Amino acid sequence: MKTAVRTTNLWKIYPQEPDPVEAVRDISIKIETGDFVAMAGPSGSGKTTMLNMIGGLTRPSQGQISIGDQEITEMTDKDLAQLRLEHIGFVFQSYNLLPVLTALENAEFTLLLSGIPKDERRKRVLELFNKIGLSGLEDRKPGKLSGGQQQRVAVARAVVANPALILADEPTANLDSKASADLLDVMERLNQDHGTTFLFSTHDPRVMERSRRLITLVDGQIESDKRQNHLSVSS
Amino acid sequence: MRLMVLLKLAMRSVGRNVRRSILTSLAMVLGLALLVFSRSLAEGAYDEMIDSGVRMGSGHIAIQNPEYLASRKLEYRLEEKLVNLASEMTQDVLKESLVTWVPRLSVDGLASSTAAAVPVRIEGVDPDRERTFSNIESHLKDGRYLETGDRLHAYIGTELAQRLDVQVGSRFVLTAQTATGDVEGQLVRVAGIFQTGIPEVNQSLIHIPINTAREWLHTPGAASTLAFLLKGAELTNIGVETLQLKLENERKIRVLGWQESSPELAAAIRLDSTGNYIFHSILLAIIALAILNAVMISVLGRRREFGVLQAMGLTGVETGFVVFLEGLFLTFISGVAGISAGLLFTWGLFRDGLDFSIFMEDGMEFGGQIMEPIIIPRFSVEQILISTLVILSIGTISSLYPALRASKLDVAEAMKFEQ
Repeated sequence: MKTAVRTTNLWKIYPQEPDPVEAVRDISIKIETGDFVAMAGPSGSGKTTMLNMIGGLTRPSQGQISIGDQEITEMTDKDLAQLRLEHIGFVFQSYNLLPVLTALENAEFTLLLSGIPKDERRKRVLELFNKIGLSGLEDRKPGKLSGGQQQRVAVARAVVANPALILADEPTANLDSKASADLLDVMERLNQDHGTTFLFSTHDPRVMERSRRLITLVDGQIESDKRQNHLSVSS
Repeated sequence: MRLMVLLKLAMRSVGRNVRRSILTSLAMVLGLALLVFSRSLAEGAYDEMIDSGVRMGSGHIAIQNPEYLASRKLEYRLEEKLVNLASEMTQDVLKESLVTWVPRLSVDGLASSTAAAVPVRIEGVDPDRERTFSNIESHLKDGRYLETGDRLHAYIGTELAQRLDVQVGSRFVLTAQTATGDVEGQLVRVAGIFQTGIPEVNQSLIHIPINTAREWLHTPGAASTLAFLLKGAELTNIGVETLQLKLENERKIRVLGWQESSPELAAAIRLDSTGNYIFHSILLAIIALAILNAVMISVLGRRREFGVLQAMGLTGVETGFVVFLEGLFLTFISGVAGISAGLLFTWGLFRDGLDFSIFMEDGMEFGGQIMEPIIIPRFSVEQILISTLVILSIGTISSLYPALRASKLDVAEAMKFEQ
C-alpha cells in the first residue's frame, strides 16, 4: 500500500507569553492511500494544527511531512500553493464557500485555477453534483443554500479535481444528524469510488464510528491509534 | 487564464456588497465631483482673469519699443513707420487667430481743474477699435464713451471726477511732457464717467482720442503699444514666437506675450493656481484615505475568505492581487461616477456662470486687473484626464498596502477568523 501522508517527529510550538504553547508534540504517523481516517480529541488537542501542517497551511516547528512522495516542509509558499491545488482538497467546519460565486462556480474553482477548459469543468461538476444530490442548485449563491447543501458543495469543491488527499476539519460540526449522515455517505462513496484518502479532525462520534482508522490526540500527542471495522455506505 | 479568475473574483467582490461599495464610493465620488467643480471654476476664473486682464491691458500679444515696458516713457514709442509695419505684419501672421487690435499712445501727466490737480495715466485710443477690445465702456456710469469724430473729449473715472469736481460736459486740462521735451497742456471735456472695482483705475485712467493725443504730444502716427486680442490665451505663445521670428531684424520692436506685459496678472494666477493645487492635494489625500480605509476594512473583514482562496491553491501574491484589483475597480467606478457627477453638477447649475456681482457690483480686482463678476466654469479635457490619472494613481497606491496585508496572511490563523 502506498503512503498518502507521513509525518515524522512533528512539533508545532506557538511562541506565547509567559510560556510557549506546544500544540503538537512529536507526532509520527503514516496514512495509507485510500484510507478513511479520523483524528479525534478534545478541543486544543492539536487536531486542526495537524491538518493545517499536513495541508501546508502552517509550517511545523520541527519534523518532516511528506504528501505522497513529496517532502513539503522545505517547500516555498508558491510550491505549497501548487501542491494544495493539485493534490489536496479541504473541507472546513464553516463550509467557507466563496460568497461571490455560485454553487457551481465554487465547486469548479480549483479546476478553473488548474486551467481545465470550461466544458470539461462543467461536465465534471454536474456529474459530481448529480452524484451527491446537488442537481438543480448549481446557480445558487452560498447564502441561498442550507448548511448541509453548502457543506456538500464544499466537499464537491474539494474532490472535483481528484486530489489524492482530502483534509476535512470538523466537517459535520455545524450539521444536524441527517445532514451529517448524508455528508458522510457522500464522502465514503467518493473514497470508495475514487480511492481518495480522507483525513478528518472531529469530535463527532458519528464520524469516528464510520472511519476505518481512529487516531485520538490528547495535549498534542497520540493517545491511541486503532483500526476499526468499516461500516458500508448507507443506502 | 488565472488572471481572468482573479479579475472575476475582484469584480464580483466589488459587486457583492453593494452597500459597502456605494458607501465607500460616496466619499470618492463627492471628493472628485468637488474637484471637477473647483477645477472648472478655477479654469473659468483664469480665463476671465486673462480675458479681462488682456482687454484692459496690452492684449494677448503686445508690440512695443524694447525699453517701453520698464520706463513707460513717451520717448520709447513706436514711430508711424514701425506702427504701420508691425500692425500689417502682425495681422498677416496672426490671421485667423486675431479677434481685433488697437493702437494706444500712453503718457503720464497731470489732470487739473479749479478744484485740484491729480497725477493721471492718459491713454490715447481709437474709440471704435477700443470699443471692440477693452471692456471699459461696460463700466460707464454717466455720459458716454468716446466716439469717432470726438476730438477734445475724455473718458474718466468716478474718483477722478470727484477729485477734480467735474461732471459730464465739464472741462479740465491735461498736462504732460511732449515728444519735443516741452510740457504742454490740452483742454478736454468730460464725455463720460466710468466706475470699475479698482479705485486706482477710477482715480488715474483717462481715455482721450488717439489723434488728439498724437497732435498734442507731437507724435504723428505713433503708438506706445499695439495690442492684439486673440481668440484664446492658448494661442499666445505660438503667436509671440512666430512674430519674434518675423520681426527679429527690427531692433526697435519687441513682441511680448500677456504674461510679460501683465506680469502682476501672471504672478497672481500662478499664486492662485498654487493655492488651488494645495487645496486639490488635500482633497486627493482625503480620497486616498477613503480608498485605503475602504479596502482595508474589506480585507480585515474577509480574512477567512482569503484564507480559503489560499487553501484552494491561490498563492499569497495572487490573493493580494485580487485585493489590489478590487481597490482599482472601486477607484475606477468611483472615478467615472465622481467626474461625471462633477461635470453634470457644474454644467447643470452653472453653465451660464456664477454671478459674484452681489459681492462686487463693479467687478473684482485680481492681479491689478479688473475682472468681470460672472465666472463661467470651463471644462478642460486636459484637467479631466489629469484628474482621472491622478485618481487612478491614488487608487493604485492606496490599494497596495491592503493588498500586501492580504498577501502576507497567515492562512491557518485566517481560517479561525469569525466572519
